[in-house]
Amino acid sequence: MAELIGSLLVLAGAVFHFSAGLGMLRMPDAYTRMQAGTKASTLGNTLVLAGLAFYHPSWTLKLVILICFVLMTNPVSSHALARAAYRIRISMTPQTVVDALRDAPERIRGRS
Amino acid sequence: MIRRAAIVLAVALFGLVFANLAAHYAERQSLLPLAKRYVELVPRDLGAANVITGILLTYRAFDTLGEVAVLFMVAAGVGLVLAARGRRNESSPGEAPEPPRPASEIVQTGAQMLVPLIAIFAAYIIMNGHLSAGGGFQGGAVIASSVILLLLADPHRRLDLDFLSYTESVAGVLFVLVGVAGMIVAGGFLDNRVLPVGQFGAFFSAGAIPVLSILLGIKVGCELSVIIDRFRPELSTERGSQ
Repeated sequence: MAELIGSLLVLAGAVFHFSAGLGMLRMPDAYTRMQAGTKASTLGNTLVLAGLAFYHPSWTLKLVILICFVLMTNPVSSHALARAAYRIRISMTPQTVVDALRDAPERIRGRS
Repeated sequence: MIRRAAIVLAVALFGLVFANLAAHYAERQSLLPLAKRYVELVPRDLGAANVITGILLTYRAFDTLGEVAVLFMVAAGVGLVLAARGRRNESSPGEAPEPPRPASEIVQTGAQMLVPLIAIFAAYIIMNGHLSAGGGFQGGAVIASSVILLLLADPHRRLDLDFLSYTESVAGVLFVLVGVAGMIVAGGFLDNRVLPVGQFGAFFSAGAIPVLSILLGIKVGCELSVIIDRFRPELSTERGSQ
């Protein structure tokens, strides 16, 4: 039973990873690609590692630490990448509706 | 057309290579005689659960010392080359490198949380080198990665290069001294049995291997940090004038 739950979790994680790869190919500009890759792979990693914990209960603590590490690093790194891309003015897709950072007051923009 | 054909040809050749590898792969059922000898010898003589670290830091520790010396040469060479480039930039005025922007709040907070964790992980890798996968080189590289994160979060931070080079030199000298002690007390240069071998698999075991691991980790971490610092654009002159 535990193995079945673990397998399902790993499968769900694989589906999210697949959607991350699909987003990388299909999204129109750098920012949306980054968003697709980050969100889906963070959740995908979490699910795969949680599924592994069902397979190997003795690894649970290590896997929890790994999940925490992924949750801490993945968003921060893609935030830094996206911010750098914005600063060197990589253009957005023409369909972009709102650019919150451009409209933000100078105080926030200088800091963010 | 030619480009497409070349791509198809390259993919086909890669496919051939990998198919060949996959078809002829067979798991080796027994160890080679040399490997077998080492697998038996390392736990018995050196008391190290990790055979690879045992070999790296005892049987061919002299080689490891040479590798660290090569890394030192790399640091010195990078310093020389980049210093020459910096001087050329100064002689041609005009495009002064713009001062680095401060990192965002998210990156700064992330670095504050992650740098201690990475440092703990590096210490774990170094200290468990004789028990599980890891060792001085790997741990030193992890330390250097935390230094990169620190510099990304605060681009104006100056590394204390003098402290780094002194620490590195002291670690190198101690490494050699442990080796010489092996010549006097135990069987030869860098023999790990200058300290008691202890119980197999315990945290304090395998003689001098953990000590050598720590020294190696400190040395490699300092060297890589210096190399990283050298690759940053030079700030000292313009900051001095501000």
